[in-house]
Amino acid sequence: MNTALKELLYKMADDQLILGHRNSEWTGMGPLLEEDIAFSSMAQDKIGQGLALYTLLQTLGESDPDTVAFTRNANQFHNCILVELPNQEYDFSLIRHFLFDSAEALRFEYLSHSSYEPLAQLARKIRGELRYHTLHANTWMKQLGSATEESIARLQNALEVALPYALGIFEASPYETELIDKKIFIGEAALKEKWVSKIESVINQTQLHLPDWKTLTPVYGGRIGKHSEHLQPLLDEMSEVFRIDPAAEW
Amino acid sequence: MNSLDPRVNRLPQLKEVVLPKAPLDQFGTYEVFVQPKEGKPFQHEGIVHAPNLELAWVLAKEAFTRRFTCTSLYVVDTRDVYVSPLTEGDKNAYDLIPEITEQAGNKKNFEIYHLVKRGKQHVHVGTVQAVLPQEAMQLAGKQFNNGKIVYNVWAIATDTIRFTTDEEKELWLTLPKKKFRDASDYKGGDKLKAFLEKR
Amino acid sequence: MYGGGNTFEGIKTDSLAQEDPGMLAAFEARIERGEKIEPSDWMPQLYRKQLIRMIEQHAHSEIIGALPEGTWITRAPGFKRKMALMAKVQDEVGHAQLLYSAAETLGKSREQMIDDLINGKSKYSNIFNYPTFTWADCCFISWLVDAGAIVNQLANAKGSYGPYCRALDRICAEESFHLKYGHHCVIYLASGTAKQRQMFQEALNRWWPPMMHFFGPSDKISAHTEVLMRWKVKMGTNDEMRNQFLDMYVPKIWELGFTIPDPNLKKNESGKWEYTEPDWEEFKRVINGDGPCNKERLEVRRVAEARGQWVREALKTPKTSYVTPLA
Repeated sequence: MNTALKELLYKMADDQLILGHRNSEWTGMGPLLEEDIAFSSMAQDKIGQGLALYTLLQTLGESDPDTVAFTRNANQFHNCILVELPNQEYDFSLIRHFLFDSAEALRFEYLSHSSYEPLAQLARKIRGELRYHTLHANTWMKQLGSATEESIARLQNALEVALPYALGIFEASPYETELIDKKIFIGEAALKEKWVSKIESVINQTQLHLPDWKTLTPVYGGRIGKHSEHLQPLLDEMSEVFRIDPAAEW
Repeated sequence: MNSLDPRVNRLPQLKEVVLPKAPLDQFGTYEVFVQPKEGKPFQHEGIVHAPNLELAWVLAKEAFTRRFTCTSLYVVDTRDVYVSPLTEGDKNAYDLIPEITEQAGNKKNFEIYHLVKRGKQHVHVGTVQAVLPQEAMQLAGKQFNNGKIVYNVWAIATDTIRFTTDEEKELWLTLPKKKFRDASDYKGGDKLKAFLEKR
Repeated sequence: MYGGGNTFEGIKTDSLAQEDPGMLAAFEARIERGEKIEPSDWMPQLYRKQLIRMIEQHAHSEIIGALPEGTWITRAPGFKRKMALMAKVQDEVGHAQLLYSAAETLGKSREQMIDDLINGKSKYSNIFNYPTFTWADCCFISWLVDAGAIVNQLANAKGSYGPYCRALDRICAEESFHLKYGHHCVIYLASGTAKQRQMFQEALNRWWPPMMHFFGPSDKISAHTEVLMRWKVKMGTNDEMRNQFLDMYVPKIWELGFTIPDPNLKKNESGKWEYTEPDWEEFKRVINGDGPCNKERLEVRRVAEARGQWVREALKTPKTSYVTPLA
């Protein structure tokens, strides 16, 4: 069971860390002060949730969170490719936030009933944080997705770019059956189905439109360590100081 | 740009020269009120700029309640806050509110705020039912004017407020656990002592 | 984070002659009694103008000040530092938000202020025109620049303008985390490896001269500010603030075994700190645009504003329009 569980925890932790890191790049450069602050808080939440998941992994025999996060190379990371893509403009960052956080909130909702109690506890604890993230994302989608010609066009374009990568969130694990059988997790396929209807319900309240899901090809690979060219430079930058002396205390 | 800052090096080049902004490309102003603890009154904390009540609430949540305890928050369009004259010394603001006879019509709730010390925040004192804001203030003067000098009164129609729903109260549940934003999480005393002893 | 400095150059007190003498006397009496001025109170034009200028510069310093530390968010070593630095820089942005709002109560909109910043018409704290070469520079700012700012802000929080004081109370409460976090970082560098100690010593060498500039020109050469002191706009002279900072933090730096790059720095018998006179020519040169990072800081702000413009455009609705905040 541990192998399956660790795989699940690693991909979730890596998602949180990498997206939190990406979103934190906006701090001090956001489109308006209030949003700068809100976006930074959610990035902090993500890093904090990543830390909590790495801490669970440590109890299962993995290294300490700092070592795990700051010394692995790209091919050892299990995050989906969506989260490692560069921020681009705020339209893309916001669409990614909406697509990812909707999935994340649902994932933790299911995990709050997980048979692996430590994870269920964590999921229940952070429910309020995730509620804010989706409220924030949905409010912005409704606002910008129905405002000006430019904002609608930008979001539409970003949505089309991001969707194939977003489907990569649900790349199946080799241990799906085991996780489902042991009631640890509902499984990626079921999660994806719920996510699609959630996304549709928000997009339908805007002037944006979703392409036919059947025409989309999911971008997979992240879960098995096959990443885009963007992840390794991100990790090099993230660990620049840490690697000066990994044994030192900073 | 060639910078020491990797984030800056990643910034896109601007295609055109940035034009000066339109004199006021700024949207609405919303006043933010926070309840720091269950049972404590709401108090005024500041403002956010936003296009509507809903986004104002979403933005105010992190701008004003990310650092200290909070159980609830609400926002209102600045234009929906009715303000009495501001007084000083031993002059009570309630004495400057013009008399008004009881109005006919549908009564609604108004939230009443007092400023009891210049320089401090406006604090919620209660709710009254009236047709007009001026009438609400007059009623508040009778109900809440307990001898203490009030320097300024605000009246806000309750139906213009974006409140926190009961379900949303869980938004602040992990706040006390976010110790990394708290001075108490950075005690360097032991490390310092060990270091000084070694030197 | 904000120091003293350039804020009060070029005051023309003769403009007071045009004010109503009765109103002016009542205004001054109110301040003398220790009461706060609120936005709807009568106030002299000069008071309004100087306050807008001061609060605006303070706000600009926060938003520009987020840049030299912000660059280390993506490189902070380990979870604890990463999360703390994110929250710390976020606070600086939050302080800008609070301060712009306080200045807005005096009648200047946030957009006008940001316009003046990116067009080079208004100033910000000089210290942020210097680069952060290493993680240790970032730690220097978190600890000591924030410490300097707190000295200033605690004094200003006792000033006369209500909305500014309220913003400062909140800011000072938040800064206590910054100060402890910064000191914590530096203790770890000091007690760490030789390389870590060297990193901080080098940062200290680089940042000491701008730190001495931070509180503004020496009282001997700075502009007359009596009326602003009387009105409790300015709460202490530049030299007083500098002395207070030295008094509180030089012993703490020495305690960690670092060398401050000024051989003349010492406390004299009367309790005042003596130091090599800072290079005020360099201070002037940098504040007027010729520092190592002035161009980059403003350019980054301009790019940020330009990239965010479509978002702000999309937030304008016919239903809401700009109004001045209440308090």
